[in-house]
Parts: sequence; structure tokens; C-alpha cells
Amino acid sequence: MENELSHVVDALPGLVWTALPDGHVDFLNGRWCEYTGLGVGDAYGHGWQTAIHPEDLPELLERWRSILASGESGEIEARLRRFDGEYRWFLFRTCPLTDASGQVVKWCGVNTDVDDRRRTDEALRAREGRFRSIVDALPALVTIMTPTGELELANRQVLMRGFPLRDTEGRSAQNDAALKRSEAREAAILDAALDCVATIDHEGRITEFNAAAERTFGYRRDEVIGEQLADVIVPPPLREEYRRTLGRYLAAGDTRVLGRRVEMMAVRADGSEFPAELAITRIALDGPPSFTAYLRDITEHKRSIDEREWAETRLAGEKQLLEMIASGRSLPDVLNALCSFVERAAPDCHCGVYPIDWSGPTFQNGMAPSLPASYTAPIEGLPVRCETAPCGIAAHLKTQVIVEDIESDPRWHASPYRAHVLAHGLRSVWSTPIYSLEGRVLGTFCIYQRKPATNPSPRQQDLIAQVTHIASIAIERAMGEAALRRSEAFLAEAQRLSSIGSFSWRAGTDDITWSEQLYRIYEFDQAVPLTRELIGSRVHPEDIPSADEWIDWALNDGRDFEDDYRLQMPDGSVKHVHFVAHATRDRDGRLEYIGAVQDVTERRHSEEALGKARAELAQVARAMSLGVLTASIAHEVNQPLSGIITNASTCLRMLAADPPNVNGARETARRTIRDGNRASDVITRLRALFAKKGAATEWVDLNEAAREVIALSRSDLQRSRVILRTELADDLPLVTGDRVQLQQVILNLLLNASDAMSGVDDRPRQLVIRTERGEGDDVRLSVRDAGVGVAPEGVDKLFEAFYTTKSGGMGIGLSVSRSIIDSHHGRLWAAPNDGPGATVSFSIPRRPGGVTAAHGLGAIRTCAAANAAHVTGSP
Amino acid sequence: MRSFVSVVDDDESVRESLPDLLREFGFAVRAFSSAEEFLASDCVGQTSCLVLDVAMPGMTGPDLQRELRRGGREIPIVFITAHRDETVRPRVLEHGAVECLFKPFSETALLEALNAALRAA
Repeated sequence: MENELSHVVDALPGLVWTALPDGHVDFLNGRWCEYTGLGVGDAYGHGWQTAIHPEDLPELLERWRSILASGESGEIEARLRRFDGEYRWFLFRTCPLTDASGQVVKWCGVNTDVDDRRRTDEALRAREGRFRSIVDALPALVTIMTPTGELELANRQVLMRGFPLRDTEGRSAQNDAALKRSEAREAAILDAALDCVATIDHEGRITEFNAAAERTFGYRRDEVIGEQLADVIVPPPLREEYRRTLGRYLAAGDTRVLGRRVEMMAVRADGSEFPAELAITRIALDGPPSFTAYLRDITEHKRSIDEREWAETRLAGEKQLLEMIASGRSLPDVLNALCSFVERAAPDCHCGVYPIDWSGPTFQNGMAPSLPASYTAPIEGLPVRCETAPCGIAAHLKTQVIVEDIESDPRWHASPYRAHVLAHGLRSVWSTPIYSLEGRVLGTFCIYQRKPATNPSPRQQDLIAQVTHIASIAIERAMGEAALRRSEAFLAEAQRLSSIGSFSWRAGTDDITWSEQLYRIYEFDQAVPLTRELIGSRVHPEDIPSADEWIDWALNDGRDFEDDYRLQMPDGSVKHVHFVAHATRDRDGRLEYIGAVQDVTERRHSEEALGKARAELAQVARAMSLGVLTASIAHEVNQPLSGIITNASTCLRMLAADPPNVNGARETARRTIRDGNRASDVITRLRALFAKKGAATEWVDLNEAAREVIALSRSDLQRSRVILRTELADDLPLVTGDRVQLQQVILNLLLNASDAMSGVDDRPRQLVIRTERGEGDDVRLSVRDAGVGVAPEGVDKLFEAFYTTKSGGMGIGLSVSRSIIDSHHGRLWAAPNDGPGATVSFSIPRRPGGVTAAHGLGAIRTCAAANAAHVTGSP
Repeated sequence: MRSFVSVVDDDESVRESLPDLLREFGFAVRAFSSAEEFLASDCVGQTSCLVLDVAMPGMTGPDLQRELRRGGREIPIVFITAHRDETVRPRVLEHGAVECLFKPFSETALLEALNAALRAA
């Protein structure tokens, strides 16, 4: 009875929920949550109890436990709190769903708002009591007798059948007044019921049809009384089968069917169909059997279940796809599964995903797993253009493109795409852009159908939105991974090309990680476990002490380091490496070094070769200048020689005179000695200038150096009709450097200046050599000519090797000069004069720290010694 | 009357030694340190022979040679030079010089050149 009652109650509009066999609530429909204002997460399990009125909760729970224990349907009324805090009375109904063996697998429940009903029935219930009214509504023969044997109540079943009522002792219980009263009340209750209730006789003819049934089916009661129930409520195609089955049941009284709920399709007077749940119970009376049919429109119920199943399907699909993405499955695998998921969820369609490579832009790596390769192959590599296909428009215009029927759609009449689609039996194409998080189009998602299809339904749109979102995650992740792989490859390649390896070292645990390139530099197999001892075995024996020192510092100080050291390889070769280590600390304060090691062997060799080449080049330049200077040298030597010979001849003549001119002879002999010394000085200077020797750092007086150069080149300058003026500063500080190299530069500047004026005839060929204190600690020497000058744009080229403006020049002089000045940490530059000509100058610091590059430790030591001498007061 | 020889050379040792030797030969001699100084002096007209250095700052020996010829003063010239530049000699001889001696030269060579110059005068 209770079961039957639950069917009636179930039909009332209500909030739907389900629970596991142990009573744990595992589902609440949206209306339940909306009504109570509780979130799904809050209400599941036992959370729903917070919405129950505290006064009603103990009884409700007690009832719920007993229902669970019984394994049968049950119900109770209790006040349920609405989202706004108001409590309203609800009927809580539940019934078990059982498997084939009768085992409960689920409890289904519906909460129906009975607050209004309670109010309207309040008077009745107050009079007869709650229990009586429920019993009254039961679809069975129920009589209630007073202890004295008088009929207190006979329910509708008894009255309808007109059976003589007997008490337990078989006494007639006919009581017209009671019956009438009961009949009227039961008719009212029946009509007030929201379920359709019909009674049928043993031949299936309708004997009663309540108001709810009239409303539901669109028939008036008097139209259907006496008709076959099947003819009234069952759709014509199913009618015969239903009638046969029902007939069999009715005839046999098959109790397996009776009392059970059967889902079926029902039809209304207007021919519209709806899903219904039917339960037929036998009215257990003597005589020809009769039955009560309870029928409930379960359209809403079905829809809610359908929606739940749909949501579960989508969720399951989404979960599966996201798990695939998270587990690192390949993009084709994920997109394949994505298409399959949509095809399962929305039958009779085919899906395609077409990622876009915007560098083309072209469609790349597209797939439509349920379509033949002949369909997808021509799309691969296709340019993304508006006229290409719906996918092209979707991608370009960032909009969903719906082609209901490509055969008739005029937009595609001229497109080869139309024939391609039709050739594969497809008619409708829906293409949707797949957006990245930033709104870039990553590709398109396509749904094809083999028949024309109008706009997607809301449910299809939801599905499309969901899968394009998942596709975007998959594609972005794949792109990100590809970018990361590329970036890692670039890094590895960059490390290889630059011969830089990177490492990390956790000082505390000696946990060492190396990049591939570092293994290559050290020539270790990557399979070999890295230890400090292993790494140390490669360090050049002479560098081991400093390496050990470095490790001690690292462990104790946690500072950054940068240094050079050498590696000795197994074949005996030596590598020079430069390393930089940056100290970091993790959240727990543990020290970790991250750094880079660069193999600078080649650079070191190049530097040495460069230094050697520069020295040789300087030598070449000297030789070149030597050629130019030959005449000057000859002149410098020939002048005193000429004086010596002339004076000697004069001396001889004066001594041979009578009387001998002794005073004159003495004077000429004195001049002979002077000129001899002069010649000797020339030779000394020449030897100093042209002796091939390495750079030597010493204190140099630029004025003196310049005077010597002037002395050597004076005749050459004179021959070129150059008027030389010197403006040498008196208080010029000494500089440290290579005297010979600096003189080489001065000589070069003088000769260049002289050459620059060789064509000048309209003005004096004046050359000014000037020394002065420069900015800061610098000493500057400049050579100013009145020659052809230099255009501002040619200034920089002057210093390039083999650039020359002279017909006979090689363009080496200034280039070599600059390298010499560079090695003195100085600067060499040229500038046009305000008037005619140009000025070429160099400045070098007073204490540059020695001559660099290839000139080695010797020069540095000399410089250090010179500096030390300077500090102690010695000039 | 002794022949008058003018020596023009920017090198001081030449200006000191050469006049002494020429005086030993019996010439009257005066030395100048530049061509400009010689032209500005009152000796141009009485000079029978000019011993002239080739390379000098300012006006060079050949410049002075051209200048004298332009002024119509045909003084025989013996060039002396410390630059052993073989192109100098034919050039100055072509323009009328009597001789071009490369320093250092012997007194014989000098004497022969002077005599040739005086004969030309």
C-alpha cells in the first residue's frame, strides 16, 4: 500500500534526488538546490539535513532509517527551508530501484511542496486525522470498523464495487450515511489527486477516469467510460501489443506485472505523445476482477534524468580527454578521441579538427577520424582563406559558420569544396573556430552530417563549446610543448655553438647536474655519475690548488665566482675554460650554484695568434717605413759624413800651409769629432727604432720620443717642403708604454701628414706636432697638417687595414698604429680641421697597467716594477 | 780678384765646414741658411758660383734655380745633396746646373765642379 501511495505522491511536482543503498544522498536536482539555496557540494551526503526544520529532523531521520531498513518505498512530511529562509511543508517520497535479484541499487526521491495542500486539508485532517486520509487514498479495499462492529469508514474501492461491507465477523456493514459521506469525500480526494487514475474492469474497459486524467489526456470522463483503456491512452502502433499483454495480465492476474511500474508512451486526444509511467493494481474483491491504473506523465522526470545523463556523459568525456592531455598523449590521439566523443554523444555526425599553422597560414595536422583519408588528405596544407571552405571563413572571421546544406547553399556553388563534400556523402557542415586563451584562432572544429541540418540545438552548441575549449587546451599545450622542445633544442644548439655548458651544484648534497655541452667539454660520457672527484680529475695539475680553493670558498662563503682554469684531457691536450657561478638559495636556505662553463681554448689560441700577427704586422709596417726612410737615413748619415770629410780636408790643408794654421786645424778637427758623434747618434737611434724586439713597458717621455722621431724624419720632411712646428708641453707627465712602438706611431703620423700635403702648393705645407695633458690622466699627442683633409664620413675608415687614399700606400700604417695605441689602453682618432687639413691624435693613460695582449707577463712585470718604483718616489 | 762663391744650405755643419775649405782653395765665400736669405742679401749679383743644397725647408734648391733664371740671373750652380735620389741629378742638370754632388763628396770632385762652373761663368 505504501508502495502504491508513493506512486501517487511521486507524481506531484517536486524536487528530485537519489541516494545510494545506504542512504547517502548522491544526487539532487537543480530545482532542489535552487529551492533550498544549497550548493550541490554542500547538500550531498548528509548536507541536505541543514535545510530541514530542526523540529522535524529527528522524526524524518528516524523515518528515513526505517525506510532504508525495509528496502521499500516510504514517505514523510517535513518542513524544508527555502533559499529565503521560509520553511514550507514538503512531502518526502522515496522508492527503491532494484536489480533483477530484487537487491536495492538506488533510492529515488521526490520532494513535493504540500504546504498549500496542508492548509486546505487542515480542517479535514483535523477532523479525521492524518492516518485516515492516507488510508482513504489507498487504492485497495479498506474498511475501518469501530470496536463495536460499526463501519467507521469504507474507502472508495469498496464503495465503487458496491460490495457488501462486512465486519470481521461477517456482519453487514451497510451504512448508507457513512457510505455517502465516504463516497463524496473519496471522489473529492480522487479528483484532487494530481496523478491520472483510471479503473478498468477485467476486459480492460474504463470504469473510472479522474480529473487529472481528463486534464492530461484531453478527454472528458463521459467520453471514455466504457472504452478500452488501450484505445484511449496508448498510441495506435503500440495499441495491439499493449492490449494483448494487458489482456494476458488481466486474465492471468500476473502479479509480477501488477503493482510494478512500467514505462510506456501514452497518447493524448490530440495525438501528441508523452512518456508515462503506468502501474496497475488489482482490486482484490470477489467477483470479476477489476483494476486501478495509475498513470503519471514523466516527461519532466525523463527530461531531468536525460539532462543528468547528458551532463554525466559530457563530464565523463571531458574527464577522459583532459586526462589524456594531462598524461601527455599526443595531439593526434587527443583530437581523435575528441572527435570520437562528439560522434558518440551526438550520433549521426562526423567530426573533424583542423589546427592552423599561421606561418602559412595553412591547415596542418587536421583529422576527421570517421571520414576516409580521401576527405582529409586534400585539406592538409590547404591555405586558410575565406574562399577555401567554411573552416576558412570561420578562422578568418572568428565566427561560427553554419552550412545547412552545401548542395543548395549559393555561397559554395563555385567552390571546389562543394563537390569534395558532396562526393563523400556529406550535406551539412558546421565549422566553429577554436580559440586560444588570448582569443587567437588555433584551428577549427567541424561537424558534418549526411543530411541537411539547421542550426545547432542549444545542447549541440554546448557540446561544441565544450569540445572546442578542450581542443584549444590540447592544441595550446601541444604548441607549448613544441615551443619548449624547440627552445630546449635551441638552447642545446646555442650551447654547442658557443661551447658553453651549464651546471647546477647543490653544495650541501653534492647533487650535480650538467648540460649535454658540459659533458662534451669535459669529454665525459653522460651515463657516468658526476662526482666532485671525477670532475676534479680533469683539472690541470697546476690549477688544482686554485680549484680546491674555489670549492672551499663556495662551501663556506656562498658567493658568486668567475675564473679561468685549464683542463687536461686524457690525450694530454689542454683546454682553457672560463666559468661563472652564481650562488642561489632555495626556500629552505640551501645553497645551490648555477653557472656556465665556456670552452675558451680556441679563443685563447686566437688571441695568441692575433697578438703574434699584430706584432708581425707592426714589423711589416716598420719595414715599409724603413723603405720610405732610407733616403732620410742616408741623409742623416751623409750630412755628418760630409761634414767630417770636408773638415778633415780643410784640416789637412791648414796643417800643410806655411806657416800651418794650427788654430784653424784645431777648429776643423773639433768639428770633425762633433760630426762623427752626430753620425754615431743617428746609428744609435736607428738601431733602437728598427731593432726587432717584443713590446717592453717602461717610462716614456713623449716629448723626447717625438723629438727623436722628428730628428730622424726632418730631412724627409724638408725634402717634402714641410714646415714643421713643434708645440711640446713643458710639464708633460711620463707615460708607461713601449717607447719604440709609440715612436713608430709618431713617425707614421708625421709621414702621413707629410704625404697629405704633397699636392699642396697654394699654402704653406705646415705641420704642427703638439703634446699636451689630455682629459683626466691622459697624455695627448697630435699631428696637424694643412693637407687635403679628410671627409667626416671617411674618418673611421682611415683606421681600417688596407684602406688608403695614397696611390702608393698599403693602408697598413694607421691600422697598425691604432692597434698599438689600443694595446696601450689609449685612443687614436682623426678629425678634420676648421681650416684645411686634418689632425690625427692619440691619447694614452699615464699608467695604463702595461701593454696588453700578446706581450705577456714580462711586460706586465716591467710595468708592475715601474709602478712600484713610481710609488716609492723613483721617477 | 778672387771668385765669389755663395753656399746655401740649411745644415749648420755644412755652412761651417764648406766655406773654410773653399777659402783654403782661394775663393771668397759667404754662407746662407736658406734660399730666401740668399735672395734677400746683396750677394746675388757678385756671386760667380752657387753651391746649393737641394732639400731645404721653404724654398728648395731647384726653386731658387728657377727663380734666378726667371729673374734673368744665370749664376752657375753646383747642387749638393745628402739624398741619394737618382732622379734629382738629371732634373737639375737639365735645368742648367753645372753639377750635382752627393754628400759626402771628395774635395777633388768639389774643386772640379767649381772650376767647371767658373769656366761656364
